[in-house]
Amino acid sequence: MSNPISIVWRKELKDALRDKRSVMAAMSYAFFGPLLMAVAFYVLISQLTDESDVEIDIKGAEHAPALIQHLQDQGIVERTKPWPAGQQPIILEIAGHWDEHIASAQPAEVILRADFSAQKQRTEIRRVEQAVSSYSRQLGYIRLQMRGLAPQLITAIDLVKQDTATKGSRAAILMGSVLIFMLLSVFFSGMNVAIDISAGERERNSLELLLSQPLSSHQLVWGKALAASCFAIFGGILSVILIPIIFRFLPLHNIGISVVLEWPMLLLIMVLLAPLALFATALQLFVSFRAKSFKEAQTYISFLLMVPMLAVFGVEFSRLKNQILYYLPLTGQHQALLDIIKGETLQWLPMLISGLFTIAVSMLLLRLIGRMLNSEKVVFGL
Amino acid sequence: MIEVKSLHKTFSKVIALDGLSFSAPEGQITGLLGPNGAGKTTCLRTIYGLLRADSGQALIDGVDANLNPLQARRHIGIFPDKFGLYERLTAREQVAYFATLHGMKGEHRDQAVAEVLKRLDMDAIADRRAQGFSQGQRMKVALAQAIVHQPKHLILDEPSRGLDVMSTRVLRDLLRELRQQGTSILFSSHVMQEVAALCDQVVVIAKGKVAAQGTTEELCELTGETALEEAFVKIIGTDEGIAA
Repeated sequence: MSNPISIVWRKELKDALRDKRSVMAAMSYAFFGPLLMAVAFYVLISQLTDESDVEIDIKGAEHAPALIQHLQDQGIVERTKPWPAGQQPIILEIAGHWDEHIASAQPAEVILRADFSAQKQRTEIRRVEQAVSSYSRQLGYIRLQMRGLAPQLITAIDLVKQDTATKGSRAAILMGSVLIFMLLSVFFSGMNVAIDISAGERERNSLELLLSQPLSSHQLVWGKALAASCFAIFGGILSVILIPIIFRFLPLHNIGISVVLEWPMLLLIMVLLAPLALFATALQLFVSFRAKSFKEAQTYISFLLMVPMLAVFGVEFSRLKNQILYYLPLTGQHQALLDIIKGETLQWLPMLISGLFTIAVSMLLLRLIGRMLNSEKVVFGL
Repeated sequence: MIEVKSLHKTFSKVIALDGLSFSAPEGQITGLLGPNGAGKTTCLRTIYGLLRADSGQALIDGVDANLNPLQARRHIGIFPDKFGLYERLTAREQVAYFATLHGMKGEHRDQAVAEVLKRLDMDAIADRRAQGFSQGQRMKVALAQAIVHQPKHLILDEPSRGLDVMSTRVLRDLLRELRQQGTSILFSSHVMQEVAALCDQVVVIAKGKVAAQGTTEELCELTGETALEEAFVKIIGTDEGIAA
């Protein structure tokens, strides 16, 4: 093989594989990202499915022993331990006129005081609310019956909730965030190599000689870009393989979610990530060939990493839906991955177009870098 | 043959080359002698096409590296001003990389690499990674990279920086041997002894112009001095930036 691109590619790959820092960087993101995610989900799931008693402060318990009994049956008990620091107490206050109001069939005031915005206490607060209102309903039914009325009278509408969410579509909410990891792993994994073969080359003073060899700067850039892309796609593939494995260990079925990704789908994701790997590398090289040192390049690239993050998170959280997203680089892959996860019908043509578009933009970027390296201003930093 | 024809080059307001002309014929060692900042490196970079001259031409066997860089570079070996090694590659791998870039392959390449490593007395470090190489060892790797493809022209930018006595001798012998084989060698230096010891022709550069040109004897004759150093100082009018 005497094609200059492949000569440069093989040399850079060999060089990068010997660099422990680069290899570690490529692996660690793909590995620790999903792992971190799994831990977060594990905590979330155990909170959601928590069936232990809810301990709250109850004031005026002596006024309504029957209510207290009912609460206890529902797993809500008086707290004996102090509240942990940083957590607002949940207080249920029963007014002193309880007996009187119950006897005269007036609404008896019960105050629930808590921080309703606290994410961690949300389930506990909801359970208290439900317990109190079920007691209220029971009492109401009894009153109606005693007055000779059928309790059904106050149920004008019976709203029957039928959840059509498939297990897959419920998982999509969860997997949406995991997808971000898959997409970003491509950007993180090749980063170190990209810096090393561009700004690093300049820093160790080997760029001048390399540019004086009988190969065009475009060939040089392509060889280097392919080498860094290999690392990027390696990280991507690793995360695509690891994520389903890690999810197998999560008790997702407890919250009614099943994540089943078949091998063909995983393969499709890998194929989708490939153009993105080239794109990520092209962007990174574009920035770091301008830098004079490794450090400078790292600074630039950390800013650059904000771009894919903002794009993906932005689309994810704003729930933006627009057909054009299917065709653009990055968002196109993101949308396709979302469809795959949700088990929706795949839009093959947009998938293909966004892939080709991504490759085209990368080629344009690489061409610009090639031209940049022909400029003495950039090479010698004049 | 390397020909330089009235090169002009300015960097913003600094005039680096101001109508520089000379030629380095085959089978001769031509020394570019000049104080620091005279334009030696700029001139060499222009010859191999990394810098574009504002006007004038630099030809390698009649090929202008600014117009046709790939063809021009195929016939030259370069020892640049700044040379960095790939710390994670061995000396042999580095040299082989550059040989491959020059289109050598397989057995032929491996043999050429082995020969040049032996020629430069580098067998002991050939399969060690460049990390931890001394300045002299790095220099040798850079030299090996420059000559592994047996170029017809050799351009060296201050090749003896940091070399010990033994390595300097290896370098001199090597250059003489290459001259014997008909290579045109152009090297820059500010070390007088070296120029005097090696060069068939000396081109003295000052302020981007040729201040004088000729053999060592001719330069001495020209200035009426017996030592090249004295001649040199007389030619450029100052002894700034010169090492004996």
